[in-house]
Amino acid sequence: MSLFIVMIKEIVDNLRDRQTVFYALLFGPILLPLLLGGSLVASFKQLSIDFDEVTTLSVQHAQRAPRLMEFLHSQNIDVIDAPEDVQNSVRRGDVLAVLEIPEDFAEQLRQGRPAPLTLHVNSADKESSKAARRVQAILSVYERTLNNLRLQHRGIDPTIFDSLNLVENDVSSDGSNGQLLASILPFLFIMSMVMGGFYLAIDTTAGERERQSLEPLLSLPLKRSAVVFGKYGATLCFVTLSCLLTAISIYTLFHLFPVELMGGQIRFDGRTLVRAFLLASPLLPFISALLITVSAVTRSTKEAQTYLGLMMMFPMAPFFLLQFLSVKSTTLTMPIPMLSQYQLLESAVLGDSIPLMHIALSATGTLAAAGLLLMLASRLYQREGLLD
Amino acid sequence: MIVVEELHKSFKRPGARSFRLPFGIGKPASSVADERVIAVNSVSFTADDGRITGLLGPNGAGKSTTLRMLATLIRPERGSARVDGHDVTQDVLAVRQHLGFMPHNAGIYPRLSARENIHYYARLCGLDKRRAEQRVGQLIEQLDMGKFADRRATGFSQGQKTKVALARALAHQPQTIMLDEPTNGLDVMATRGLREIIRQLASDGHCIVFSSHIMQEVAALCDHIAIISDGCIAMQDSLQGILQRTGEEDLEDAFVKATRELSTETDR
Ligand SMILES: Nc1ncnc2c1ncn2[C@@H]1O[C@H](COP(=O)(O)OP(=O)(O)OP(=O)(O)O)[C@@H](O)[C@H]1O
Ligand SMILES: [Mg+2]
Repeated sequence: MSLFIVMIKEIVDNLRDRQTVFYALLFGPILLPLLLGGSLVASFKQLSIDFDEVTTLSVQHAQRAPRLMEFLHSQNIDVIDAPEDVQNSVRRGDVLAVLEIPEDFAEQLRQGRPAPLTLHVNSADKESSKAARRVQAILSVYERTLNNLRLQHRGIDPTIFDSLNLVENDVSSDGSNGQLLASILPFLFIMSMVMGGFYLAIDTTAGERERQSLEPLLSLPLKRSAVVFGKYGATLCFVTLSCLLTAISIYTLFHLFPVELMGGQIRFDGRTLVRAFLLASPLLPFISALLITVSAVTRSTKEAQTYLGLMMMFPMAPFFLLQFLSVKSTTLTMPIPMLSQYQLLESAVLGDSIPLMHIALSATGTLAAAGLLLMLASRLYQREGLLD
Repeated sequence: MIVVEELHKSFKRPGARSFRLPFGIGKPASSVADERVIAVNSVSFTADDGRITGLLGPNGAGKSTTLRMLATLIRPERGSARVDGHDVTQDVLAVRQHLGFMPHNAGIYPRLSARENIHYYARLCGLDKRRAEQRVGQLIEQLDMGKFADRRATGFSQGQKTKVALARALAHQPQTIMLDEPTNGLDVMATRGLREIIRQLASDGHCIVFSSHIMQEVAALCDHIAIISDGCIAMQDSLQGILQRTGEEDLEDAFVKATRELSTETDR
């Protein structure tokens, strides 16, 4: 009972604190996703290639390859004449890319030899590279058609060369970002949890010591554990609320600006987010316990902010670790709080199936760690040194 | 009613090595006493119901430490103390139920109003919502806090803070009330007002313990005085009794004499 009185008082008290409310309800859940997600949406609008869209391509000496021009046209590309000074206009960005057809193109083709083509591109310019990639993709389709014709001409079944049917997974563009992308969700979730409870945890423990309101509080007829768990409950409420709001704002963001991430492999739809939230939920009690325990050791809010500031490395550590080292999801990594949630949430975002064993191990490991931390926190509150 | 018998409490000296470096680096402490500060050496006194007991002593005498032990905030190392018959080391919750403690610092919550501050404590002491509200209203009237009761405590004057802290300590109508230097930072009028409240509480039958280092205050208010110095009780009696026993005219001289007697006694 007294536990709930403490909890409600701390919530009401902290809702009146602008800083706490800003970080818990605005920074973590809204500003951070907007910043990261927003730049993501923007960059992917830029990187993705829309093959149905009609675009133009400058071609120099188009008349030397009428068949190719027809093919380009059938692929939704409008051929226009190239400018005078091809090199410089590509460099300046006047045109994105120029396809040059050399004089001997038709001749070489007729003789069944490799026909030369030059593509002028400015690889320093994203837009230019993107245009070039599109042209290359279309030309390779054309090349294949030509090859087939040549082989058939010589009485060879072209499919005997198709010993492999390779489906390209373009790692150069958005492919390599796949993992980064997928780990943005756990990053935002964990960040919002930490930010959500950060100031409340400090205010209710170190802040209370600093204000010297702990002494009269502890002389009241209630158990010290009720005080600790009340404060813990208040932190848990803020942490949960902050994470929930984050899920909602990510959903809203990707709902308003749908982008095709990794060919639709990465999704931030409602189902994924609910799944991710549930997978991350054992972290709610864990992070709350971590915040309360660390700030219970400290004497002043300043000290608490320093310690907890250092602790903010924790949510980032798996983020960077997983970027550079590929740590496989195994039964060994699963009981580790934070790391396992990173891996599970990545899988969730990528739409992979997750073994039930992994979910169980992750939840058990994280909740056990939370329990241990809470025990430590209530031990810390039994200390006499608490009143110094 | 409080009965204290030979309480003793020492603290680890701040900055003392809590662990020894390996290979004998760092000088070893010469004795155990060197490593610890004795805050309360041997304190015994009795505070009766319906009486105001003053704990009079200079800075660092061990007043706050004694009161903290009585309030079950820290555990005595030796000796015993009972509050309304409940032992402070065994019956912790019962002691807290019978005790209203106002520590040295008001320590009120600045983002809560005066009313909310008191209400919070009343609820924590087990009063239900309705009874807590009633009690808070009663206290606000009794301590004349109507003017600032619904203002947030940020920026309260020292007197206002003290009143809120006192009201909080009284929230659960404890039989025994302990106040640690309550008149600190109060002006003359506020001090007089507070004395009036304390007298009223005593005449209602409460047991009041009151610590101070100000002679006039103790002389003006207390029925029973315990002089504490260097963690020991030098003398305890009524004001009249103390003046008689020391053969002095006023409390200040009596105080000096009593503490000097104590130190020569311990030196011997
Ligand atoms: N937590 C602590 N750690 C170390 N020393 C302490 C601690 N608490 C008190 N002391 C020491 O114990 C002695 C008694 O302190 P206490 O606060 O009880 O004095 P006091 O009579 O209340 O003085 P004042 O009138 O200044 O409030 C002092 O020397 C103080 O430095
Ligand atoms: Mg003191």
